[in-house]
Amino acid sequence: MSQAVVSVNAGILLPVLAPAIGAAVVLVTDVAVQHLRRAHYVIALVALMVGAVATVAGLGMVAGAARRTLCLPGSGQCMYVADSVGSTLQLAALLGAALTLLLSWPDDKKQSPGGTAVIVSLVLAATAGAAAVAGARDLGSWLVALELASLPAVALVALRGARSAISGAIALLTTALVSFGLLALSAALWFTATGSGFLTPAAALAVVNDPARRPILVLAVVVVIAGIGFKLSLVPFHAWTPEAYDGAPLPIAAFLAGVSKIAALAALLVVIRAVAPLGAPPLTAIAIVSAVSMTLGNIMALRQNGVVRFLAWSTVAQAGWVVLPLAAVSSAAVHASGAYLLAYVLATLLAFAVVAALVQIRGAARARDLAEYRGLLGDHPVLAGALGLALLSLAGLPPGFLGLVAKVAALRPVVTSELWLLAVVAAVNAVLGVAVYLRWLLTVISTPDVSPQASPPAVPEGAAPVAAQAVRVHPATLVAVGFTAVALVLTSLSPQMLLGLLGQ
Amino acid sequence: MVALLIGALVIPAATGTALMLSGRVTKPSSEDNANTLSLVASVATAALVIATVINRPVVNHSWLPSLGVRLHFAVDGISAPLLILTALLSIAVVVNARSRPSHGGSPSTFYGCLQLVELGALATFYARDAVIFYVSFEVVLVPMWVLIARYGDSHDLAARRDASGRFVLYTVLGSTLMLIGILALVQASGTADMDALAVLHGANLSRSTQIIIAALLLVGMGIKVPVWPLHTWLPPAHTIAPTAGSVMLAAILLKMGTYGIVRLVIAPLPIGFGALAPAFAVVGVVGIIWGGLACLVENDLKRLIAYSSVAHMGFVVLGLSSGTTVGLQAALFANIAHGVVSALLFFLVGGLKERWGSADLATARAALREVSPRLGIALVVGFAASLGLPGLVGFWGEFLAMYSAWNPAPDRPQPLMRVLVVLAVLGAGVAAAYSLRVLRLIWSGDRTTPAHEDARGGEWSVLAVLVAAVLVLGVAPGLLLNSTFKEAAAITMQVPR
Repeated sequence: MSQAVVSVNAGILLPVLAPAIGAAVVLVTDVAVQHLRRAHYVIALVALMVGAVATVAGLGMVAGAARRTLCLPGSGQCMYVADSVGSTLQLAALLGAALTLLLSWPDDKKQSPGGTAVIVSLVLAATAGAAAVAGARDLGSWLVALELASLPAVALVALRGARSAISGAIALLTTALVSFGLLALSAALWFTATGSGFLTPAAALAVVNDPARRPILVLAVVVVIAGIGFKLSLVPFHAWTPEAYDGAPLPIAAFLAGVSKIAALAALLVVIRAVAPLGAPPLTAIAIVSAVSMTLGNIMALRQNGVVRFLAWSTVAQAGWVVLPLAAVSSAAVHASGAYLLAYVLATLLAFAVVAALVQIRGAARARDLAEYRGLLGDHPVLAGALGLALLSLAGLPPGFLGLVAKVAALRPVVTSELWLLAVVAAVNAVLGVAVYLRWLLTVISTPDVSPQASPPAVPEGAAPVAAQAVRVHPATLVAVGFTAVALVLTSLSPQMLLGLLGQ
Repeated sequence: MVALLIGALVIPAATGTALMLSGRVTKPSSEDNANTLSLVASVATAALVIATVINRPVVNHSWLPSLGVRLHFAVDGISAPLLILTALLSIAVVVNARSRPSHGGSPSTFYGCLQLVELGALATFYARDAVIFYVSFEVVLVPMWVLIARYGDSHDLAARRDASGRFVLYTVLGSTLMLIGILALVQASGTADMDALAVLHGANLSRSTQIIIAALLLVGMGIKVPVWPLHTWLPPAHTIAPTAGSVMLAAILLKMGTYGIVRLVIAPLPIGFGALAPAFAVVGVVGIIWGGLACLVENDLKRLIAYSSVAHMGFVVLGLSSGTTVGLQAALFANIAHGVVSALLFFLVGGLKERWGSADLATARAALREVSPRLGIALVVGFAASLGLPGLVGFWGEFLAMYSAWNPAPDRPQPLMRVLVVLAVLGAGVAAAYSLRVLRLIWSGDRTTPAHEDARGGEWSVLAVLVAAVLVLGVAPGLLLNSTFKEAAAITMQVPR
């Protein structure tokens, strides 16, 4: 909006600029030198790592501290503010994108549809959007960054070209459009109510005691929750999730479950922090969608037989947990929500990485069928162990201490605000969640020979020679599994490593 | 000195993790290796635990500054007996399991799970930070679930899934409700330090807050105890679990619930607990009668002992509810007594089930006193203690619990408590009836076929030690009562009027 000269600090903007520049470099390189494949990935990884390193300065700062840039000269208001929570979410988005790229690393035989340059630049563009939305503090860039984070995902899902991919992409596209409409509406409502283009507490504070404008602001926030509910897969805006996950290539499903969710929560947190003075009314909406999301997500996940759909419904349930603390008015809630998101993303990405490795070893059909995981512990103990840790972390049970601590952190603001009913719903869902994840884990640790009636489909004659060939997992996938597994083990031993990033 | 306490937790953690990870490396033939390793680890842990009980070191490190959670561990008179019980029974289950093949999976996973269960139990009893208490509480869940789901009774896969699933889901519901209660308690009191909470004694909490928090905690931990009507997970879990799992479950894990009630409800929330105590006492006594009646008709011996656990824990609940120092001491004593007796009975019954191929009482068996006098005498002592015969360990806890409830704290409804005592006495009568029924069915008589082996070696030494413990603590209950007196008095004496 403002035409004034604004201060620009490229160092502070680097987490956003690095992936954006990376995307441009990849496209230019593709035009200059054709048939490059791995080089695109290398460029992208370098860009993501540069961005990730640039976020480090913003991690673990004391409350209230932030790195600001794009500030207006007179008012001192800044369009880009990276505090600890924002920087941590940026770091998570950049690393999550790097992991997605590792999982989709091209092998020598297969030609990627659309060429690697397209995939890589789309991932980088979406990541730049995710990083930008975490820092955006004005309506315009908030809205644009959020859409930048969402729309490339539609193309990424569709690129595979298969029927299921197209239907998944259409589900995602429809959702993205509705969501954009809602968000644009909410931006207009916000501007109507506050007369300010900035998403800051100061703007909201001016409206709190004005009986004419306050309802408009409340409505704006409720519409934001609906719009972002689509992106976070909150019930009742979740319907696209299983379709899109199942239709997309596995690494892209991991991207949707990881980076997209980070972008969505980052966008939501910007608004939630701005409306903290407003108090309870909009937050009741969060309590309801949170409770319904966890319940429906868990119940549906219990019934899934495909692992990708299982993980999709698990995302719906976990999204409910992510926004659970936001139902309470407290400064700890934003941290708790961020902490839960990070724990969820780390564990989910590890689960996806293990599934991706199994796709290479056993073929897509077997790796995507939950019943085929029977006896995995005996066949691939390391992968089974990593998967087990991821599932236990999602269930919030030791030895997945990270998930356990995240659960404690998420429940704490709810209890502090004495939302007893919501707390009890969450407790029941903790039980349902355990049932969901232990169902998969029980399959993994079961020995196939114990139950003769169940084992024949597990070892069909045709599949045995394939397994015996000792197919090698691509090194990039191994790096992805190893990196996430080590990160999950370390953060489980010392969850403070992760919580500390979000700030003191 | 601090190293002793850290060692007592690190050894089972390291051994358990190493055994779990080595599941693929060790072959079934190395069953003895896994057993020896966990035996050495358990003995070392027990030595360190006993040293910590004597030295009383305190560990207090920051763990999660963002959430204000500290790694705070210490020992006092209330936790000391439970720590020793845990450490010694962990040795006993390993000795007893020696030279018995573990069905259902690799032996190293089996022993690894046992070590991790021990770790969780020790950490729970050491914990002095309320959130760490919860975290430790959860540590036992997955290993115990694996023990039931993979190493349980191999006859019925569906029953195993059902039993292990019920165990884990009930317990998670209980512990999550407990977590909500703990978070509320910590928030309201402003500290997570359990010692500070006990000293505060609810001084800064209103009556209604205390009641809400106490109700959440009692329901949560009541599932673990288990208190009627939340006990329905226990019989299947005990029936299906392998012997080692049943022993750990009955003798140690159930105690985590009552211990938690003492630490997190009675000490910090005296008014809230006082308001709920009559109802709590009623469900306890219903449990005594319910469990006893179930035992009268139950034909599966393991399930019968599980139901008798429900009845025995009912006496603990009655003692806790009385609000007196004697009642609290009675409950803590009955805790240990049930730990010793139920361990003895589950070792016995587990051994018998292996010999018989089932634990069905309706099948005609050789009389134990004829073919296996060692098992026979242990069974007689076990059931005699279970029915509360004076001079054995079972007597004191239950007698003192009823005594304390007859003269409860002034703020308890005396007529109701006295009615409950009368009913509890009836329950004790039922206990005598079912104990004698079991002895008549499997101990007396003169059938000698089908013959089976008597207990020897490790099995006999475990049984003999437990029989000795039943006798010694029965003759000299002061050993234990003196240990808990000071802390129990501190908790009950300062109940505000």
